[in-house]
Amino acid sequence: MSIFKTMNISATGLTAERLRMDIISENIANANTTRTISGTPYRRKMVVFESQQKDAFQKLLDHAQGNQSTGNGVEVTGIVEDSSDFKRIYNPEHPDADGEGYVLMPNVDVVTEMINLMTASRAYEANVTALNSSKAMAMKALEIGR
Amino acid sequence: MLKNSYHKIDLFDKALSAAWKNNQAISNNIANVNTPNYKRESVEFESVLQKAKKVIGPLETTHEKHFSIQKLSVEPRLVKDDSTSFRKDGNNVNIDTEMAYLAENQLRYETITKQLNDNIKRLRISMSKG
Repeated sequence: MSIFKTMNISATGLTAERLRMDIISENIANANTTRTISGTPYRRKMVVFESQQKDAFQKLLDHAQGNQSTGNGVEVTGIVEDSSDFKRIYNPEHPDADGEGYVLMPNVDVVTEMINLMTASRAYEANVTALNSSKAMAMKALEIGR
Repeated sequence: MLKNSYHKIDLFDKALSAAWKNNQAISNNIANVNTPNYKRESVEFESVLQKAKKVIGPLETTHEKHFSIQKLSVEPRLVKDDSTSFRKDGNNVNIDTEMAYLAENQLRYETITKQLNDNIKRLRISMSKG
């Protein structure tokens, strides 16, 4: 049913933005982590968004019905690591410092992360607004003929 | 006379589905506001309706070889705007205009439901007073 499809679309947006906020929080929390299981400092992670396409069945059904339906929202297709170089900081007291006194720090830029966090949170709010507006419209539709 | 009143209700029905579909398209745009290379969708209905209103029809035919103009079907059309780019990542959803369209579309939907309800109410009154 298309009433719930609209809400599902907004829900995909909410899920994706929330996951993005989770990943950003992880980056900020690990901004100073120099040890991970792989032996390197923490690498910054990023989410990959892709618009959700209709599956083959829905495409054929739409075609047969002469119906044009919208996309299905957004999905996170992967979480990738940022391959940029680690920051090299002079700090001889650090336990992970090399022979010359330099430490490799994670490639997390806290300012960038904060800006991304703001974008994600605004996008989340936009999806909430869209969901509320769909709900209000559906409630109005229930009042038809009363 | 009754046929005409129901004709109006049919039109409201179409307008409501179009507004609902438009809401779906706008929700999809908002969900994809951070998706690289996403292009915005929109639903055209008013222009389709305008065009259909200009065509007179269906013309009556009294002979099999007469021409007949069919009444255009009034169906909402889904359009994808592939021509523009709003950001460097190829996405062309402007969140500000999208939120404005969302509010506008919600108001439109509520206006049409109001008109439809008033229409039904009038029909009911005329049926009960006789």
